[in-house]
Amino acid sequence: MLDPEKFIKDSVSFIEKNVKRGILACSGGQDSTLLAVISSMAKTDILTVFIDTGLLRNNDIKRIKEIFSSYNVNGRILDRSSLFISRLRNVTDPEEKRKIIGRTFIEVFEEEAKNYGAESLLQGTIAPDWIESGGGSRDTIKSHHNVGGLPEKMNLRLVEPLRDLYKDEVREVSRYLGLPEVQPFPGPGLAIRIIGEVTEEKLNILRRATDIVEYESSKLNDKPWQYFPVLLPVRTTGIHGDQRTYGLTIAIRFIDTIDGMSGTFSRPDWSVLENISNRITDEIPEINRVVYDITSKPPATIEWE
Amino acid sequence: MSFENIIYLIKIQNEMKIYIIDNGGQWTHREWRTVRDLGVDSTIVPNTVDADVLADADGIILSGGPASIESEMSKLGNIKEYMHRYNYPVLGICVGAQFIAIDSGGRVSKALHAEYGKKIVNFTSKDGIFYNVPDSINAWENHNDEIKSISDDYIICAYSDTCRVQAFYHKNRDIFGVQFHPEVNNTEHGTTIFKNFIEKCRR
Repeated sequence: MLDPEKFIKDSVSFIEKNVKRGILACSGGQDSTLLAVISSMAKTDILTVFIDTGLLRNNDIKRIKEIFSSYNVNGRILDRSSLFISRLRNVTDPEEKRKIIGRTFIEVFEEEAKNYGAESLLQGTIAPDWIESGGGSRDTIKSHHNVGGLPEKMNLRLVEPLRDLYKDEVREVSRYLGLPEVQPFPGPGLAIRIIGEVTEEKLNILRRATDIVEYESSKLNDKPWQYFPVLLPVRTTGIHGDQRTYGLTIAIRFIDTIDGMSGTFSRPDWSVLENISNRITDEIPEINRVVYDITSKPPATIEWE
Repeated sequence: MSFENIIYLIKIQNEMKIYIIDNGGQWTHREWRTVRDLGVDSTIVPNTVDADVLADADGIILSGGPASIESEMSKLGNIKEYMHRYNYPVLGICVGAQFIAIDSGGRVSKALHAEYGKKIVNFTSKDGIFYNVPDSINAWENHNDEIKSISDDYIICAYSDTCRVQAFYHKNRDIFGVQFHPEVNNTEHGTTIFKNFIEKCRR
């Protein structure tokens, strides 16, 4: 029902009307990347900033560089990985993780905005983000990094042109612009896919597992809406080449949904899950067990934290 | 989209105004979207808004929400007034439906079986806004409480294995309630229910 051409036109004029000099927070996901591309069409000064939080997957930075150059986005990539990771030390509560990450994002953006002389912050917030982030009579299910982490008083004016869109509509507009389709990736990154404390070591394990899951899933004809591993702090007994092991657990989450607001676990071919399991346990010595998540939304959310 | 549907959309566009009363549900915005996709202008308002605001409404939808209706009635704001001040059609979803039951003199309390996610909902009658919905649908649920009873002014018209009251309608007024969530994409024929409701709201 959404008309992509009209939406883009309206958004461009909305941005031109509301932003003189702005900074755009780009996570590399479908939403903020789309916003970066739409904003690059506006006759306004906008700097798109992508922060390397150290909580990213292996290919994220390379991919965003390519998009910046092929769509003429005025973009900048900042490495703040040690800042983010040091702040997450000893933190295990998922809401605290999300809030710390959100606050750190804002801090970095505010600093960049000051350097750039921006008065506005553009964010790719979409409908489910602010719906799930609570407020008023709504229960907070999760603090989304681009909503819940915002300080009460901020020096930047918030501009969110995608506020009323759902994921499927973001995809529709992205397709219209020829943007590559990527599976959703949460703002707080791999931090909320590591249950318990986030460490460099765990991030490396999860990155390798993520590569395997993404590669093996790409062989599916019908890819799920989202497909990713979660690293659990659960140790179990295993046997690797006649030797006893006591390793960590990876949970695989495949989700089918239209808009992310409700969904079911996918029923992929067993062989895909088998390949993923074999490769993870073969290639990542720290892992000796792989499980599959068979919970729908509701009662579970898509991400584990 | 069929030609018939396009004509239907053109007819109702810009002629109607539906208000979605936000009781804090995770899917309030989905209701807005479903109505919008059917070509009708709707506005989400908090349940604390003054009833005067609804004077131009052609119909209202009472959204779901986290309130436990037994102990947290105050979280439902002014919806009692919204229901009785005007004569427009009302669709209550989840906690919205539970409110209608209580308001009628019925009873709502903790469900014997909470329901989350997919359940089969069976219709025993398909009058009113349930016209054109199959006898059984896969519907999405999300509730801890359930309707134990509702006044005789209402006809209970759907059930699931674990919940006796899944849908109902008023005998004389256009008031409808669903315990499941027709606005959620995974619910089969949810759009049909919304379309029928919009039809009822046409002046």
